[in-house]
Amino acid sequence: MWVKVKAIIWLHTLRLWRYGMSFINMVLSQMLWILLFIMGVLLFVPPEHLTVALRMAYWTIAAWSIISSFSSLVGGWTSFFILMGMVEEHLLRNTSPFTTIIGRVLTGTTVSFAIIIVMGYAFSWIFGRVLMTVEQPALMLLAFLLLIVESLSYALSISATSMRTSISEQFLEILNFGIIGLLIVPVSALPGYARLIYLTIPYVGPTYMVKVAIGSESPVLVKWATSISLIEAVLMVLIALRLMKSVEDHVRRNGVRAVGFW
Amino acid sequence: MGLWTLLKSGLILDIYFFKNNRAQLVSMFAWPYILLVLMLGMGFLFGSAETFKSNVGVEADPVVFFVASTLIAMASMSVMWEVGGTVLFHRWTGTLPYMLIAPYRISVTLVMSYIPRYLLWSFMQLAEFVPVLIWREGLVGGLADALVMGLAIVIGMLPLLGFAAIFGSFLLTIKEETNVLSWLNPIVLILSGAFYPAYLFPLWARFLSMILPTTYTFELARISSLLGAPKLAEMTFLIAVLLGMSIFYNALSFTLMGKAEKKALKSGAV
Repeated sequence: MWVKVKAIIWLHTLRLWRYGMSFINMVLSQMLWILLFIMGVLLFVPPEHLTVALRMAYWTIAAWSIISSFSSLVGGWTSFFILMGMVEEHLLRNTSPFTTIIGRVLTGTTVSFAIIIVMGYAFSWIFGRVLMTVEQPALMLLAFLLLIVESLSYALSISATSMRTSISEQFLEILNFGIIGLLIVPVSALPGYARLIYLTIPYVGPTYMVKVAIGSESPVLVKWATSISLIEAVLMVLIALRLMKSVEDHVRRNGVRAVGFW
Repeated sequence: MGLWTLLKSGLILDIYFFKNNRAQLVSMFAWPYILLVLMLGMGFLFGSAETFKSNVGVEADPVVFFVASTLIAMASMSVMWEVGGTVLFHRWTGTLPYMLIAPYRISVTLVMSYIPRYLLWSFMQLAEFVPVLIWREGLVGGLADALVMGLAIVIGMLPLLGFAAIFGSFLLTIKEETNVLSWLNPIVLILSGAFYPAYLFPLWARFLSMILPTTYTFELARISSLLGAPKLAEMTFLIAVLLGMSIFYNALSFTLMGKAEKKALKSGAV
């Protein structure tokens, strides 16, 4: 088992190194697209609220970067993996193809954290505001861990689904982008009864924890958010494992559908 | 093979593209609204329309302002990807050598076969925004705004095609094209003042934005968002600048594309 893990870590580290230009491009281009978007939003913000708005927007987009990077770099990579004929190669060597796909967590984490750091420094420099300070580092760390687990589970679920049926990449992109709108809404802006319901939406709980960690949201619901997010993360992991198991059984019997994403 | 054949082939390609790729068609309609709703939603969440007016320094309707910005941003992105990025697409599919030996220069083929797509896509997206414009400005005002935006789409296309062909010729001569194309595109949009007017930039950025044709296309389209009587003098000035730029950029692209083609053929880059 250890040999397989070592091989997978080696593969993804080597790919990250060899596709160095692609890595830099991904970080730079995502930062620039976000800057383009943020500049439009800032036209509405009065100068005295600029720091608060920028901090909230930056950390929400940081959380979203993890979700987006994982779904494209882990889930989206599946189509390449299928097209290369790697699913069959892995099955012939009695190795689950999903172990290699799970290894993309290395790429997803590196890319998303590189984006968050580069974006933080670039935005702080461009707008002349300090954005990267955190009031509760432990809560922030837990929130990001939960985001990684939830995003990875989602990515593995769509990866498994794409081995049995086609998944429209266009719709996934729309869904990915639409999530920002969902995450940016402050819990305090909602009526009392809707707050807990809002926190049950996947990714919303950990993002609320991020906002509490930077002091942008009141911590009243933080215990609820943590509990809900933990339960959700476990459920999402179980769903992803179940899906991977059933798809692997199906693929071993019927072969892989070389459709993937389109 | 006449130029009409190239235009026709572009049109037929698009019709079949839509017919066979419904998800792409739905996504083409969905993206502008998603972008608009997110930007306005976040804007009104953090601020107000009054602050918007004070920040941009003109009496403008923020909704119409961002409709115009979104529309031109989508059109500019499309030109850069479809004309500039087509070189990349043909390289991947292995059809670039055939394009190089075709009777027309690659720049002519790229531009002529793309024009129907640009007009079709841009006017379809403009049509989907017409209800929003009518909601903001009333029937006559909304249709007048749509007319100004339509004019910006057509006039703005002329220099943009040459500009994108220069971009394409640059891609012909380099490697790692995807890595260049993905970050140059947002830089061009940022410097053109896509969502943040270029006249609010620092001096060095304003100078760069002045040489980009997209800057004037955005300004022309956004005239529709100004409250009160339409600024005809400003519109005429922007149209004149765009026409002048279209002569310059298309002449430049014709020269550069030829050189890039020769270089690509010589080095075996295709």
